[in-house]
Amino acid sequence: MLFRFILSRLGSAAILAVGIILVSFVLTALLPGDAATSRLGERAAGNPEIVAAVRARYGLDQPLYVQFFIYLGNLLRGDLGTSIRTQKPVLSDLAQFGPASAELAIVATIVAVIVGVGLGIVASLRANGLVDQALRVVSLGGVSIPIFWLALIAVYVFSTLNRVFPSSGRLNPGQTPPSQVTGMYTLDSLLAGDLTLFASAISHLILPALVLSAPMIGLLLRFTRSSMLEVLGNEYVRAAEAKGLPRHTVILRHVLRGALVPVITVLGTAFASLLAGTVLVEQIFGWPGIGAYAFRSASNLDLPAIVGVTLFVAIVYITVNLIVDFLYGIIDPRIRRA
Amino acid sequence: MRISRGGAIVAAVLAGALALTGCTSGNSTAPEASTAKTTLVVGKSFDLSTADPARSFETTGGIFGRAVYDTLLTFAKGDATTPIPMVAESYEANEGATEYTFTLRDDVVFSDGTPLTSADVVFSFDRVKNIQGNGSFLMEGLSVSAPDESTVVISSDEPNTAIPAIITAQTLGIVNSELVKENGGTDAADASTTDTAEEFLNTTSAGSGPYIIETFNTETETVIVANPNYWGEPAAYEKIVLKNATAENQLMDIQSGTIDIALDLGADQLPAIESNPELAIESGISPTIFFLFSNASPEISKVTSTQAFRDAVKYGLDYDGLLEIAGEGSAQVPGVIPSVFFGALKPGDAAVRDIDKAKAAVQELGDIDPISLEYPSDFSVAGISFGTVAERVQANLKEVGLEITLAPAPISTALDSYRAGTEQMGLWLWNPDYPDPADYLVFAPDKLVGLRAGWTGGSNPDLVALADKAAVATEEAERADIFREFQLTMNEVGVFAPLFQPAATVVAGKDIEGAVFSAVFGIDLTYIGK
Repeated sequence: MLFRFILSRLGSAAILAVGIILVSFVLTALLPGDAATSRLGERAAGNPEIVAAVRARYGLDQPLYVQFFIYLGNLLRGDLGTSIRTQKPVLSDLAQFGPASAELAIVATIVAVIVGVGLGIVASLRANGLVDQALRVVSLGGVSIPIFWLALIAVYVFSTLNRVFPSSGRLNPGQTPPSQVTGMYTLDSLLAGDLTLFASAISHLILPALVLSAPMIGLLLRFTRSSMLEVLGNEYVRAAEAKGLPRHTVILRHVLRGALVPVITVLGTAFASLLAGTVLVEQIFGWPGIGAYAFRSASNLDLPAIVGVTLFVAIVYITVNLIVDFLYGIIDPRIRRA
Repeated sequence: MRISRGGAIVAAVLAGALALTGCTSGNSTAPEASTAKTTLVVGKSFDLSTADPARSFETTGGIFGRAVYDTLLTFAKGDATTPIPMVAESYEANEGATEYTFTLRDDVVFSDGTPLTSADVVFSFDRVKNIQGNGSFLMEGLSVSAPDESTVVISSDEPNTAIPAIITAQTLGIVNSELVKENGGTDAADASTTDTAEEFLNTTSAGSGPYIIETFNTETETVIVANPNYWGEPAAYEKIVLKNATAENQLMDIQSGTIDIALDLGADQLPAIESNPELAIESGISPTIFFLFSNASPEISKVTSTQAFRDAVKYGLDYDGLLEIAGEGSAQVPGVIPSVFFGALKPGDAAVRDIDKAKAAVQELGDIDPISLEYPSDFSVAGISFGTVAERVQANLKEVGLEITLAPAPISTALDSYRAGTEQMGLWLWNPDYPDPADYLVFAPDKLVGLRAGWTGGSNPDLVALADKAAVATEEAERADIFREFQLTMNEVGVFAPLFQPAATVVAGKDIEGAVFSAVFGIDLTYIGK
């Protein structure tokens, strides 16, 4: 049953991926502009021989449908093509920039879950009290404050005025990154046993991760609060309390567990959007992640990179959705049985 | 109780992390950039694509390449007018300026200790010519030969006094020919498809400059270290880190001490650091020119192709007001050649706003539809946004009765219509390819930029003849006169309206010596610390 479920999800994911590639190809091709000449200098762009050579090099001299099928063929062999801008295989670019964004998104999510869910529980237990009112402001602030503004303020306060955190990058200038295992510098430096590098990596990570977590904290706080309040009113909660179970056992084992399903739905979507949409935070913190890579690729009409990033984002969404589906089953056995 | 204990644990973890990062940023981030000074960190918004000099033609590539690859000639610190010896200890030109003979130093060695000979120069130059890259045009009409090990001869089809300036370009950096050949390099006619040395050159230095590559990354940072076999005065720093950072990041990084030098700060960002006692601001004038053009082709516009329209634009623009937008330190460019290069016009030759003349020209045009002004909307230079300049142009021309419609587009798409010559009016810039007035003959009718403005030779044969004469003139005084006449005539015709050169700023820690702007390289890293 589970196997059939996984197989059908993977099958639909593959069809979805082909559709995404097709749409990316067509939309990028429809854009006005010439990918072959966009990276050429003024003189070279005026030389038809050079322009023709660039077109031939990247297969841009072929009709779009031929390019599409060549791309699909290469994709089956694990080749996402070569970026016109970086002139490196897109797969190696994604391997470089993807983990940087993943590291940022994962830490931001961990912070958001601890703070957002924690405060959501507190708010629900103190519903309509002073603490709840204060947390409502926190939640509204997290959701509504523009993230770029928050990032700029954070850098100004914690890097420019007070040199608590570095203002940009993933490591101190000139520091050699750890050997790539996961591509996440904090983990890789720990795996390499290099604590100096780990300290540098985490000091660069904290500020952007905290900023990135702010909207998610606001969102999780609100969802946890309302979901908790809904569950708190159920009869089984009152029954548990009547049985004389300690308050914290009732809250954490019975109420929170029941309240987590909608929270996980939000968390899954928010995590995927974090990973795919960190462009502003990455830009402000000079974080070389997938968002910044996507932005520069789109600015340069770099078709292989654009399709590669699109595919990457799609895979992230599909994977996160799958994980969320499985988590439902773990948290709520009724869903598993259904 | 347990919840609050959990909260305490979370707080403890966060406090620990803060303490850890406090130590890190305090002990390694900021001071690393400012204490020992064996490492120099330079912030630059990267346009880096390759470490292969033959394929490199971007600003960042030039900064990097200047430190790693020597050229036959170069420029003294802060100068952009007189090439001085580098690998070539002397040179002479024949009377017609069609042949330049360079005598090489006998003590120049590559970073692996191999002596540099004329064969390396010939290989490097021919490779640039045949690789069909962005900088291949530098070798157009030129051929290079080596009569002996220490002599290089560059011959030109036409008299060409720009050769000494052209060969200072980093694209023409000299590579170790044997090493590059061993790793897939070739200077053969089919090098564009058969040369495979780029990957090797992106990891290994094959030059004779004071620095060699440690790591090369086009997206994050590129690190060069002192060349232990350097033939000249040793490098001032053990390591130079070129850090990719936007202008906004550079402003924060220079204040937080993460970088030692910021290269891309705009005039609008400087007030934030002017009172900082730890920083020094070196201001110069950029050789980049912003210009406006009115398409001269009647097929594109029956209005912009008229002299009356060009006059309306020329006299209608408020040049002083545009300088306010460009920021402090910017200057009106009197002709197409920027003030820092030989052949530039004097400030008194610049166009001046004359509202009466502009209104008279508009009246002559009669009842016309609005004209479209195209420009790249997602691109800015030295903090100057094209959009802001375009809006001011629109407002200026409205004051004299000319309706302009703004047509912004992302640069990747705007370039298409610009290069196709289909824009009615365009707002663009020109960066110098090499520091010689000959580079600006592209603005003449029938030439590269002239054609983008729909300006064909037939419409002004006298100007075409003048440009041709300027290209082959050899005597300095004669060249100066011809280029002056060329630019004054260009101004008179008015297809192009040169607007301004932005200020160029180098912000550095007060303890950094020699961080000055270079109109040729942006900054010459080899002079810093000396």
